[in-house]
Amino acid sequence: MEAATATVGAAAGRPARAWRWLRRNALRIYAGLAMTYMLIPIVVIAVFSFGETPRDKLDFALHSFTLEYWQHAFAIEELNDALITSVKLAGLATLGSTVIGTLMALALVRHRFVGRRAANLLIILPMASPEIVIGAALLSMFVYYQVGLGFTTLLIAHIMFSISFVVVVVRSRLIGFDRSLEEAAQDLGATPLETFRYVTLPLLAPAIVAAALLAFALSIDDFVISNFNSGTTVTFPLYVFGVALRGIPVQVNAIATMLFIITTLAILLVIWQQRRAERMSAVQPDPEPAAS
Amino acid sequence: MRTARDTRTLVVAVLMLAVAAVIAACGSEETIGGGNKGEVQVAKAGKPTGDVTISNWPGYIDPGKNGTVAEFEHKFDVNVSHIEDINDNVQFFGKLQPQLERGQSGGRSLFVVTDWMAKQMYDLGYLQELNHGDLRTVFDSILPELEKSDSDPQRKFSIPWQGGLTGIWVDTKRAPEIRSVEDLFDSKYKGKVTMLTEMRDTVPLVLQSQGVDVAEATKEEWLAAIDRLKEAADSGQIRRFTGNEYTEDLTSGNVVAAIGWSGDASLIGREGIEWRKPADGCDLFFDQMVIPVGAPNTAAALAFMNFVYRPEVQADIAEYVNYVTPVEGVQEILTQRDPELGRNQLIFPPPELTRGCSGDPDPPGSAQDQQEVTEAFQDVITG
Amino acid sequence: MRLRRRLVPYGLLAPGAIWLALFFVVPMYFMGELALRSGTPAIGFTFDWAWSNFPDSLDGNTEQIVRSFYYSGVATVLALLIAYPLAYAIAQASPRWRLLLLFAVIAPFFTTYLIRTIAWKTILADSSPVVDVLQALALVPDDGRVLATSGAVIAGLTYNFLPFMILPIYASVERLDMRLVEAARDLYASSGQAFLRVTLPVTSPGIVAGVLLTFIPAFGDYVNAAILGGTNQAMIGNRIQSLYLFQRDYPEAAALSFLMMALILIMVVFYIRLAGTEAFMGEEHEGR
Repeated sequence: MEAATATVGAAAGRPARAWRWLRRNALRIYAGLAMTYMLIPIVVIAVFSFGETPRDKLDFALHSFTLEYWQHAFAIEELNDALITSVKLAGLATLGSTVIGTLMALALVRHRFVGRRAANLLIILPMASPEIVIGAALLSMFVYYQVGLGFTTLLIAHIMFSISFVVVVVRSRLIGFDRSLEEAAQDLGATPLETFRYVTLPLLAPAIVAAALLAFALSIDDFVISNFNSGTTVTFPLYVFGVALRGIPVQVNAIATMLFIITTLAILLVIWQQRRAERMSAVQPDPEPAAS
Repeated sequence: MRTARDTRTLVVAVLMLAVAAVIAACGSEETIGGGNKGEVQVAKAGKPTGDVTISNWPGYIDPGKNGTVAEFEHKFDVNVSHIEDINDNVQFFGKLQPQLERGQSGGRSLFVVTDWMAKQMYDLGYLQELNHGDLRTVFDSILPELEKSDSDPQRKFSIPWQGGLTGIWVDTKRAPEIRSVEDLFDSKYKGKVTMLTEMRDTVPLVLQSQGVDVAEATKEEWLAAIDRLKEAADSGQIRRFTGNEYTEDLTSGNVVAAIGWSGDASLIGREGIEWRKPADGCDLFFDQMVIPVGAPNTAAALAFMNFVYRPEVQADIAEYVNYVTPVEGVQEILTQRDPELGRNQLIFPPPELTRGCSGDPDPPGSAQDQQEVTEAFQDVITG
Repeated sequence: MRLRRRLVPYGLLAPGAIWLALFFVVPMYFMGELALRSGTPAIGFTFDWAWSNFPDSLDGNTEQIVRSFYYSGVATVLALLIAYPLAYAIAQASPRWRLLLLFAVIAPFFTTYLIRTIAWKTILADSSPVVDVLQALALVPDDGRVLATSGAVIAGLTYNFLPFMILPIYASVERLDMRLVEAARDLYASSGQAFLRVTLPVTSPGIVAGVLLTFIPAFGDYVNAAILGGTNQAMIGNRIQSLYLFQRDYPEAAALSFLMMALILIMVVFYIRLAGTEAFMGEEHEGR
């Protein structure tokens, strides 16, 4: 009897079942579609880095496959100079903003003092302001003082806008920080400075590294603020904008794909490290068995 | 408690503003902008060595290992950075102006801008003067009609680089019937047409298409032409206003016609696109080499100027860029290489071609009027 | 000793606070100072309390201001519609996969902002197959184009600011206790009702944050309009850029910048008031 019902149900319900399957997996299907949509430009960039074009500039049609532009990825002097400038700038800016930002985060989380709320506001404001306003205001100041625009002004700007992000990242880690380890160190006779160096800092390291990576990425990618404050110095995004109007050399696509792969690997590495750290910290010696 | 903290935040904020005001009080400038009022420098000659940076328009020199730059580097043991970062006179000027204001050249020893821009820069004190004695090859070989010019009567600060005609680039496969500026306003081509951000190119062409004599045009007529452009832009007739990047739109097929410069064939990567002199007008311009204030290695810059005026060198340049050459004797050399080249009307325009062409004129009237027209035009092209 | 203790936080805070004050707060003052000057680029600008610059810049740029509202508004709504289900889907996945999925969603944005936008220019070029498909689907008129239209700019804005919408919403959705939804279903609520009265209010903080983080930068953006748009698509950011960098009309540029800041501030205050009330109401519902 059950078998009969089952068969009848099955015969009548195949379209209905398909519909139900669709409904249940709708969200997943949608997520897949959405992620595809987000990946389209990346695929396009990668694909178009392998296309042979007559003028060595980006063409809007697909041509024959060639590795030429990958082999000669660094053939364009201007592009290389821009890349080097960007990396130098990002490196220095990351250094500056990570140090400054970590110190600020420590102050904000671990101490109570007058002006704490003002400092919090000061940190949030740059993150919430549109880049164009930040860039334009800085330019206004530089114009006013007739300061020469160039690498230095860029560095100043980049450090400035990265600080807030560093503070937020480090602060979130500090808030959940287990202070018992620090207290233990102090009980064992370590000075505050030693405690900081040997206990706090290593435990804080993952957050600091994450913040530094974020600052680096923000700096390398920055266009608007750099556009306003660079004078004639050319960073990678500024170079791309310049050639975007006149014809992008295909090498740019190759380099962009390279950057993408490097960044992806770097972050995957960080995530993997996180996982390892979590797993290792989860390993604890078994508690002493009660004396039987 | 809450109120106390709020007040403290407010106090801190006010304090910061006060500090800012104090900082500003020290070192405040009376006037911002308005030009460099210092003494005029004269470019120093000497033995060219070391590094030199030149800014130029794209596709304006023959490139590559056998190109003019490489030749120059070879002959003079100088390391040349030839950067093609000029897309539009105003944009380039805007980028450089803060540094020029302070007597710095942004690292450049020489750049190429259109004659009217060169004059403006000179008037603002941003250029060095040139000693004719240091430029013997130039003045030996320059075309007689270019020895003087309206914008630089004594050739004190600018040496012609190349000249050109502003006309219409047409995709002959898709819109072969476009022959005049008026055609560009035909709604058949809505959204498939671009015009130049260069006011002194675009507006005179529109004036001519309206039958106005550019030399006698009034400010009102300029503003009327600009209004026409605004209408066309708002309706979407004109896709956008471009600097040198119209070549990209033509290459990608996004547009079927563009106001553009005669020699840019090397920048357009699509077949069937040709330059046409508009039936209802034209514009003839000359771009100039200039040396900015604070330029490093002026010796190399001057040597470069002399070098490109050697007829054989200039022939190489003309062959590639297809623009109007300012040097005598090039026609003979090119005819020897290829008779077709010697007859190329874009390099050696016959009088019929250049008759009635406007010459990148300034808007009429006082400085105030000119500013008004410039602002109106900038409004339209920014969108 | 006590004094030193009390000074420690200030010492830690000092470098950052000074840097931010000097290079973020103070420049705002200078922008204001510039905005009150008058003159021309040729003869220079002198300070003379030119308050008229503010209404003048508003007058001359109303079209672009309205357009910026429109573009960033539509882009924000689209981003919300795209991001919410996506964030929800990720939150439903098993914990192991979540981080990876999030990463996969953010990874495309590791390419430079400019290059991503230029990639869209390639994809949406008049001659590209994508546009052909869109024309076949009658989403685009046969003789029409996608580039240099409002649609292209909005599409670019939506795409580029998607992560700013996804992450806050995801953070909120992750905290959603599914038992509440189950409880609602047990009480005979339909999926729709459960969503509207349980899920949505609980995740509203994320939505609020996401909308803010998307709308504000989109409003001031000019890259998308410059690359994907034509002359008719200029936003207020394009204006400010042109005024500062090309026309060097600093007073008008600064005044316009200030105006933009003021507009954003007004919108944000308004919005937080509005959103605050709703979130509050949501919590009330939950309490019941």
